[in-house]
Amino acid sequence: MTDDVPVDEAWLRGRQVWAITAGVDGMSGLTAGFLDCGARVAQLGDDTETLAAAPDGVARISGAFDTQAAADAGAAALADAAGAPDLVVISMLPRAAMRLAPLSTLSEEEWRLGACDGLRALVYLLRALGPRLKGRGVAVVLVGPSLSLVGCPELVALTTLLEGQRGLVKSVARQWGGSGVTLNWVAVAPRALSPLFDAAPLAAKPDAVSVALGRPLDLRREVAPIIGFLGSPAGRAITGASLTLDGGEWMVP
Amino acid sequence: MTPMDWTRQPGLLKGRTAIVTGAGGGIGRGLACALGLAGANVVIAARRAETGEETAELVRQDGGIALAVETDVSDRAAVDRMVAAAVGAFGGVDIAIHNASSGLSGRSFKLEEITDPDWDEQVGVALGAAFHLAQATFPYLRDTGRGRFIVFNSSQGLHGGAMNPVYAATKSAQRGFVKALAREWGPYDIVVNAVAPAALTDAAKVYLESDPERSRKAMASFPLGRMGDMRDDIGAAVVALSSDYWRYVTGLTVPVDGGYYTAL
Repeated sequence: MTDDVPVDEAWLRGRQVWAITAGVDGMSGLTAGFLDCGARVAQLGDDTETLAAAPDGVARISGAFDTQAAADAGAAALADAAGAPDLVVISMLPRAAMRLAPLSTLSEEEWRLGACDGLRALVYLLRALGPRLKGRGVAVVLVGPSLSLVGCPELVALTTLLEGQRGLVKSVARQWGGSGVTLNWVAVAPRALSPLFDAAPLAAKPDAVSVALGRPLDLRREVAPIIGFLGSPAGRAITGASLTLDGGEWMVP
Repeated sequence: MTPMDWTRQPGLLKGRTAIVTGAGGGIGRGLACALGLAGANVVIAARRAETGEETAELVRQDGGIALAVETDVSDRAAVDRMVAAAVGAFGGVDIAIHNASSGLSGRSFKLEEITDPDWDEQVGVALGAAFHLAQATFPYLRDTGRGRFIVFNSSQGLHGGAMNPVYAATKSAQRGFVKALAREWGPYDIVVNAVAPAALTDAAKVYLESDPERSRKAMASFPLGRMGDMRDDIGAAVVALSSDYWRYVTGLTVPVDGGYYTAL
């Protein structure tokens, strides 16, 4: 039972979390958890529905990531509204990438919007964040569905995008490590992240115990504190990592 | 017996048609020659007609069958024309290999230095072209019953190299593409894999020969003590991967790198 899991609020209490979302909601469970832990949370997002899903207590800011100028303006708006961040958490799940369809039926535009533009948006966003993070010892955590680790049919563009995000995180972790910024990728069970994955033909782990803990982790009570740890001084020893927080399903090598 | 002696076994890929993008030189040329030696009809997709024809001539000199088609793989219409030419010449496509890579791939960039045109160039070749080739060849790979789709990747897509974030991101993205497509195309008996080579390209030779100490250090990271020959090491592995011997392996990124990356 997730009720048995204590919330570890030690480091997050009083900290400023920047939550940044592109596309559908993969964040509201986490921001609720950050608030539970006593953090202050400001959310920048490009999707009205996703911003509306943010829990009470989150400062909501509309923005965009489709140009460098838009991403720069978004980062500035966050700084103006909330002050400098102690932790940055990002979820980028473009709506164009979420539609279930065989690759052979995707249009050129659907492919571009689903697989490529989301990756470029992350480049813009990280560049906008860089000057505000370097030298301050801040952790950046990207959160995504674990389906990209094993691949998902009918979501080829999304899988491509997510793995691209993961590769970019590793590369930028190397480039920025010397300036005290850490970047990590956190993979969670897709259906814990968004109900939009309920219909997806997700790969199933064939095993007598397919998920070690017997359930996906709860974003609010279990995943949010782990992300909080990544922001803490002890957690900032970790960078470039892919952390699979799926309750022990895939146990990737 | 060298790997290529082995892959010359009669009938290993005889009668099968293989498309190789970026085959006007480098690794792609090595792949084309290896596939030709293994009996495949080789379709050489090259951005420049003359380099494509040079590769085709090398394949023919070894007794192989080759067709060179000038192709800008980032252009959907050009890829469609190339695949149509392959089908027109040989009746179908059994093996599609996306090897083409942007000329910017080997350049160093800080994240802050990447321009939109640089991004478009690298993403267009790495991801756009993979999409184009997959869509254009899918009906033929499905119909052959032994389709192979191979994407040329890099260890940078595995460990996230610091040199070029776009390259690291697009190579990692290709791995996602391969994993998802392997699951989507499995019911059609299409095998989809990525290959992460460590090839002794002409550029690598120049780089290593310019500094013997650097070369010594670099070779120390390869348990086999050397980088791979483009035809006899990398090409031979791709011939094997394209053959029936590897028909039950799909969704993988296969490092063909002398043991350079063992963290999987």
